[in-house]
Amino acid sequence: MLLNAGSVMASPQELTEQVYLPGREGSLQIEMLAAARRNGLIAYELAPELNDLLIEVAAGSPVLVLQNLALSWYPRWHYAVVIGYDLERAEIILRSGLERRQVMPLTTFEHTWKRSGYWGMLAMPPGQMPRTATESAYVASAVALEQAGHAQGAAAAYETALLRWPTNLTARIGLGNAAYATHDLQRAENAYRQATLDHPESAIAFNNLAQTLADQQRYAEALIAAHQAVSLGGAEQASARDTLKQIEIQLHASKLLPEADTSPPTKIGN
Amino acid sequence: MNSQFMRITSRFMIASVLSLGLPIQSAYAGIVGTDKVAAAAHTQSERARIGSYLEREDVSKALQAEGIDADAAKARVAAMTDEEVLKVAGKLDQVPAGGDVVGVLLTVFIILLVTDILGFTSVFPFTHSAR
Repeated sequence: MLLNAGSVMASPQELTEQVYLPGREGSLQIEMLAAARRNGLIAYELAPELNDLLIEVAAGSPVLVLQNLALSWYPRWHYAVVIGYDLERAEIILRSGLERRQVMPLTTFEHTWKRSGYWGMLAMPPGQMPRTATESAYVASAVALEQAGHAQGAAAAYETALLRWPTNLTARIGLGNAAYATHDLQRAENAYRQATLDHPESAIAFNNLAQTLADQQRYAEALIAAHQAVSLGGAEQASARDTLKQIEIQLHASKLLPEADTSPPTKIGN
Repeated sequence: MNSQFMRITSRFMIASVLSLGLPIQSAYAGIVGTDKVAAAAHTQSERARIGSYLEREDVSKALQAEGIDADAAKARVAAMTDEEVLKVAGKLDQVPAGGDVVGVLLTVFIILLVTDILGFTSVFPFTHSAR
C-alpha cells in the first residue's frame, strides 16, 4: 500500500520475502526502510513528532507507523499506514492489517504510537521531497538509495536535494557518482566540476573529477585535478595518490603506444 | 593476556585481512564513494567501515537464524545502511518486530480489555474507548 502510493508495483508475496522474519513472526523497522529502497524508493524516517506525521499525511503521503498495541512489558508490535485524520473529531484513519479503513481516537493512537518511540517512515519516489525533510536526513536517504544499487533513482533524489540546497557537497558528488555509475561521463564531470567550485577544499571532488577526465582521455586536465586532490590531503589522500598514479601510467601508455615513442617517459607535474 | 585484548586483536586481524578485498569500496577504481563525503565530514575512520562490514556478516547470520535462507539474508542486509546495520547488530532478537502475534494469556487479556476501554491501548476491535 505504502509502496503503491510511491507508484511502485509490488505484490504482497514479493514484499513478504523482503521483510518477513519467520522466527520473529514480524518485520523489523530497518527492514521496512531497506525494502522501500530495494523497490527504488526513498525511505525517509520521520522526526518523532505527531505534527510532522500530520503534515505529511495532509500533503498526501501515507505514513507507515509502528505501534505497540498493548503494553511496554507485554508488547504487541504492529505496523499500520496512516492515511488521514480528522482533528475536529480527534480521529486518525489507518490502514491496518486487513482493515482498509480503521478509525481510531487520536489519543489512543498517540498512546500506541508513543510506545514505538513515535516511529514512522515515508516511501517516496526519488523526485519528490517530504514536506518535513531536513537537509542531512534527506541527503542521507539518497545516499542509502545509491548504495542499495539504484543509481538512477539516487541521481533523481540528489537533483531534488540540490534544487533546495544547491551547495550540498554530498548531494553534488552523489549526483556525479550516480551519473558515473550509469556511464554518463559528461553529467558526472559537470557535477564534480560544480562541486570543486562550490567546495574548493574537497579533495574527493577533485579526485573524482580527475578520474572522469582521465576516462575521457583528457589527461592534461585530469593531472591538474589529481594533483589538486593530493595536495588537499584529508581522509581520502591515499585514494587521491592512487588516482594520480593511475593517470600518470595511462598518460604514458597513451603516449608510448600509438606513436611508438622511444624517448624515456617524462614526469608531468611535480 | 586477557580475553578482551585477544578479542580486539583477533577482530583487528580479521579486519586487516578482509580489508584487502573490501567489497563495500566504490565499485569503480578512482572514484571515491558518496558515503565517504559525509564520512570525511564526520572524520569517520576506515575502521568504522570495516566494523560495519563485520557486523553485516553478523546480521546476515542472525537473519538466517530467524528462518531466512542465506541468499535472501545477504540481499536483505545489502539494502541496509552501515548505520542501520550497527543499530541492530548483536540485538536482532530484541528490537521490535511488527506483525500479528497469536495467543494472548488470559490475565493479559483482562488487563488489556480494561486499558482498551480506557483508551490507552487498542488491542481488541470490539472495545470502544471511553475517551
